[in-house]
Amino acid sequence: MIVLSREGDKAVLRPSGADIVSSLVPELRAQMRGIVEEGVRDLVVDLANVQMVDSSGIGLLISAHNSLHKLGGRLAVVHASKDILDLFHTMRIHQHFSVTGDGGED
Amino acid sequence: MKPSSRFACEMRTTLPATLEAIEEFFVEFRRQAQNTLSRADCFAAELLSREALTNAVVHGCHRDPRKHVICVLRLRGRRLTIAVHDEGEGFDWRAAWNRRGGIFESSGRGIQILRKFAIRVRYNEKGNAVTIVKLC
Repeated sequence: MIVLSREGDKAVLRPSGADIVSSLVPELRAQMRGIVEEGVRDLVVDLANVQMVDSSGIGLLISAHNSLHKLGGRLAVVHASKDILDLFHTMRIHQHFSVTGDGGED
Repeated sequence: MKPSSRFACEMRTTLPATLEAIEEFFVEFRRQAQNTLSRADCFAAELLSREALTNAVVHGCHRDPRKHVICVLRLRGRRLTIAVHDEGEGFDWRAAWNRRGGIFESSGRGIQILRKFAIRVRYNEKGNAVTIVKLC
């Protein structure tokens, strides 16, 4: 399940009990594309209930960042677990957009 | 993972080549691995296995449910071996392995993950079987 909360041009996406992996990426991509087309420019992806992000999930986040950046917007990832934070650092994802852990560390 | 006399743990399965089957596999994987591996090793082992299985299902078998993917995870001491074999035609793993994507590219990170999280990755000549080794 993906929970979306929205206020003006800001939105928070919370995948809940659903990992950001190849099986979920098409649904999440469609949802992100839809809200950006509707005018969202400040997108937060909340990973509080996400245990795993694979290479296709990383690709999706970078693609969303690239799209928002071109439109003058921004992507932020919050509440990443220590393992996901370590993965993002290893893959240098934190150089693209803001990534913070479940304790607020980056 | 099923204990055996020769190996500390082994998990062996044959999946139809679908993403849904991969998700079902990882429900069982997490149940078994959390009793055997540390949290960080569980995560890395799942990540490596996911990349190999997704590659086999999506690129090897083109998500054809009539085709199958065989996956064996074996833990012996600190050495975790992940072997994935699919019924597809294989791929040019040398080109994929040598490709260096730009930092802003949104694809091509599966191989990078294997490079960074495994100590050894071996493909067969055809490119439809991979063996990955990670120390836990």
